[in-house]
Amino acid sequence: MRNLYQRLGLDPGAGEAEVTRAIEHCEHTALKADARTVLEVDSRREEYDALHTTLSDIGRLRARLGLTHAPYWRDGPADDFSLPPDTHGSRHDELMQRLTRAALLHNRWHRLRGPWSAAGLLALGIMLGVALCRWLL
Amino acid sequence: MTIARFSPFELLLLKSRHQADTAALLLLAWVLANRGPIGEPERSRLAELTGGFRHGHALAPILEIAATQDLGAIQLAAEVLQKEVHGEQAAPFLRLAIALAVEDGRLSMANQHVLRFLADLLGVAPGEFAPLYAAVTGKAFAAPDDPSRSGYWQAKEHRRRQREREQASQQQDSRDDSRHRSEHERHSGEQGQSRQGRYRQEQHRQRDQGARQGAAPGDRTRRALAVLGLEPGASRGEIRRAYRRLAQTHHPDRFFNDGEAVMASASQRFQRIRRAYDYLMQVS
Repeated sequence: MRNLYQRLGLDPGAGEAEVTRAIEHCEHTALKADARTVLEVDSRREEYDALHTTLSDIGRLRARLGLTHAPYWRDGPADDFSLPPDTHGSRHDELMQRLTRAALLHNRWHRLRGPWSAAGLLALGIMLGVALCRWLL
Repeated sequence: MTIARFSPFELLLLKSRHQADTAALLLLAWVLANRGPIGEPERSRLAELTGGFRHGHALAPILEIAATQDLGAIQLAAEVLQKEVHGEQAAPFLRLAIALAVEDGRLSMANQHVLRFLADLLGVAPGEFAPLYAAVTGKAFAAPDDPSRSGYWQAKEHRRRQREREQASQQQDSRDDSRHRSEHERHSGEQGQSRQGRYRQEQHRQRDQGARQGAAPGDRTRRALAVLGLEPGASRGEIRRAYRRLAQTHHPDRFFNDGEAVMASASQRFQRIRRAYDYLMQVS
């Protein structure tokens, strides 16, 4: 499927007036005719938009998963939606990283719990003592 | 601690007893969400189909995540599945996905693309996926329609009108039939009209079929002849001569010095000429 919004230089959420103006200014006659048929009838535009969203999502997924040139995508009709490979990194790796970090913090807390709480209690005691002396004297 | 926030799907994945099954479940729910709103029948069907899964958590949160079409969660599920499922294991999952996608007899356009994506994800080539699809549904896996073209909408309108006409004629027929039957009961001699009517109908159907079968090949022959610059009714000898002449002028090797783009376009023209010639040699 072609991405009519991209070809007309529009935002997918563009209003009716904007779409009509863009179609009027389009110089490609075949594209103009197709855009008029599809985008100027509300029910058709709705159906087109639904598929447009799905295809954009799949295009983004393919780019992030390194499937930009997978067999079913290579010279299919969905070419308008293929993006350059995304270097965002893998979600799974990121999840694993966060997990490792959380585990590391947890372990550190367990190891240092004794000394830290002793130090904290000592500090609290000193502060209490100072406050008491001030209040009494 | 605010360092490690996990999304609902990540938490599910961490709780799951079998991560690949949880990921597969989310992708199947995604297929369902692309078919239409998920209600109780869809939920129970998914539960029934995935009875052998070993994830060990509730289904409801998965369906909720799928309904929001959360791209991050879907990406994570796809990554897990890509890591865990290879080769032989891909077929059962794809079979489930196909079964869910064509549950109500037709494949939505979104799911056509989703199934292609899933096949690519698991490294199943189009040549392997098509028989798999045919085995589950009994139909061929067609190329997706293109609603960005006027032709799609015209064909849709045409189909709708045809269906309406068929329905109308069916109603008419049944009305006719019942009338004839009552007449028949009254005057058993008058059968001719009804038989004639049926005969006319039969003839009509035959002509329709003939037109449908006749149109495609005749048209293709005409187009193939036009590619070779010939009029309809050309002989085999003429076809062969035209092909030789055109193949010589358009052979890609002749454009070797003109750069790659020129050569590619020549190769396309040459292919078209050869396909037309092959087809004509087959039919004539």
